[in-house]
Amino acid sequence: MGKLEVGIVGCGNIFNLAHKPALKHMECIKVTACADIDEERAKEGAKFFNARAFQSLDEFFDLDFDVVEILTPTYTHAEIAIKALKAGKHVIVEKPIALTTEEAERMIKTAEKEGLKLFVGHVRRFDKRWVQMKDIIKKRNILPMHIRKTEVQNLPFPAHYWYWDESKSGGVALDLGVHVTDFLRWFFESSPIEVLGVGKAIKEEAKTNNTFDHFIMMIKFEGGKTGIAEVSWAYPYPARYGVFYHHVDVIGKNGRIRYTPLDTPVVGVAKANFEMPRFSPLLSTFPDAFERELRHFFDCIKNDTEPAVTAHDALIALKIAEKAKESARKGEVVRL
Amino acid sequence: MKKLNFGIISYAHPHAIRYASTIAQSRRAKLHSISGDGANSDVAKGEAKKYGAKFYRNYEDLLKDENVEAVYIAIETYRHKEVAIRAAEEGKHILLEKPIALTLDDADEVIKAAEKNDVKLMLPFNPRFTDPLIKAKEMVEAGEIGALEYIHAISENVKPPIFLQGLNMEWFLDVRKSGGGGFMDTAPHGIDSLLWLTKSLPKRVYADIGAKIYGFPVDDIGTAVLEFKNGIIAVLTAGWGNPKGYSYGLEIKYYLVGREGFLDVRTAYPDFTVYQDRAEKIYWDRPDVRAIVEKFVMAVLKDREVPISGEDAKKNLAIILAAYESSTTGKKVSLSL
Repeated sequence: MGKLEVGIVGCGNIFNLAHKPALKHMECIKVTACADIDEERAKEGAKFFNARAFQSLDEFFDLDFDVVEILTPTYTHAEIAIKALKAGKHVIVEKPIALTTEEAERMIKTAEKEGLKLFVGHVRRFDKRWVQMKDIIKKRNILPMHIRKTEVQNLPFPAHYWYWDESKSGGVALDLGVHVTDFLRWFFESSPIEVLGVGKAIKEEAKTNNTFDHFIMMIKFEGGKTGIAEVSWAYPYPARYGVFYHHVDVIGKNGRIRYTPLDTPVVGVAKANFEMPRFSPLLSTFPDAFERELRHFFDCIKNDTEPAVTAHDALIALKIAEKAKESARKGEVVRL
Repeated sequence: MKKLNFGIISYAHPHAIRYASTIAQSRRAKLHSISGDGANSDVAKGEAKKYGAKFYRNYEDLLKDENVEAVYIAIETYRHKEVAIRAAEEGKHILLEKPIALTLDDADEVIKAAEKNDVKLMLPFNPRFTDPLIKAKEMVEAGEIGALEYIHAISENVKPPIFLQGLNMEWFLDVRKSGGGGFMDTAPHGIDSLLWLTKSLPKRVYADIGAKIYGFPVDDIGTAVLEFKNGIIAVLTAGWGNPKGYSYGLEIKYYLVGREGFLDVRTAYPDFTVYQDRAEKIYWDRPDVRAIVEKFVMAVLKDREVPISGEDAKKNLAIILAAYESSTTGKKVSLSL
């Protein structure tokens, strides 16, 4: 098999920040087409890869390539993915897999029916911090029973941006929530039983959009394990820097592992205004995590093998987050 | 200045050791006598010798000593009610180890006995007397981080008391004596600090508390989600979840998130670190215990209000018991405090 030909749908933030630089030096693939509803963005992306630019998805999918990367807002994932699968393309879609589990299930069924691969970009599974941590947990037999994972930032986008529109992004409980629910399931190696969700609207952007920007989940997993997820777009970090932080606290039968951003050697900058240290231009993870993720997915396509994180994993991550939102709305615990 | 004559009843609770040394060093209190009821009677006796205090085999004799004006009660929790009521009847002012009692009814009886006999009753919850948290509260109230929205607290997470050397801590593992395991032991501290920081009370609590880490017959770690009347949400983890190798003796951490900033309170006490087979933090000061003793002593000597009353401790217990109920039923529990 020669080089995989890749088409990109959605040439916005996550494309420019993460996928474009990751794909740039990948010798096993070639990006042949870039589509975006914004003509300029499509052209810019296409120019970078010396590929063809599209505004129309129908024309884009008529083109003969192997795999499509869907990097559009969450609410469009299902429609585009199903269209791509029906057009005979393998699919790599950004997380969350879709806006609803119903959509996600249709995507998975379509992929099965068409005999094509469907991958979801749960990039945390390729982040060397968490990969190493999971490795240490196994090697040292930590046996985690209580894990708290926090992913917090001050979302730097204005109120009209799609992230704040719950009907487009699912809100913070879904958008960041799926990262944490998947992380907890990955680390516990256990199934979720029930979830309590509690949300708050702290920033004006959240209040005007009638959505939460700070969300807590307490998830009971089989075997008496407790997962605590905290996701926030409302952390009062200086918005200019858009800093994004993770905290992890794993308490197990045979030890404890903690991670805070300041445990890692970084360059802190003290000026007239304190500037939080930051790790990478991506804020949430490292550039090489995306590269590792995409290489892995491309290998799975070439060798017809199962990925480290499946569409089904993504579906469960979404289901937990969805039930947590339901719990917050009802004010009671929801079973999974 | 007059010194308050203190008696310590029982060394069942390991805090007795710290309170004894703090009382002994106080300029306004004298460690007058110690009784050896309950567990660690030998330790109590040795301590009496060390501090030149009178030793009584049982608390009744200590209470009959007319020179004793106040008592610190560190007996097993299930005997709090019995001993506290007797102390009140004998006219002794009471500093009572937490939790106040096993049940809310028992707590009421203790409170009533203190009122009836006109003695002070105070409960010692530590975090609010630690310097970093006092500073954090000052900053919150000065508006430095805007309106307080969310608190994440680990308060306190310790190593199981049975790891303490030279002390018999078995009663902590007997729910009939302790009322619960790690969460019952340490969460009251965290709860008190949350009420103090938020200046509010929770209207609902959800918790998951269990024997997760060590396989004890009682719970060793728990986490509660508290929804306060004023809209603040708090997540509190407490218990005995730390491994033997954890470098701090006890862990107190707070993340206070306001609309315009956050405060990261990483530890409660000033320490230095000793490195041998493992790193160990040594606290070179415990201003919290000193403050608790001083405030109690001054409340007695000057007839002032105690900073933490029996009613405060009863509310605290109500929240703790609601958390246990939630953990058992798997549902949120509403509180009417």
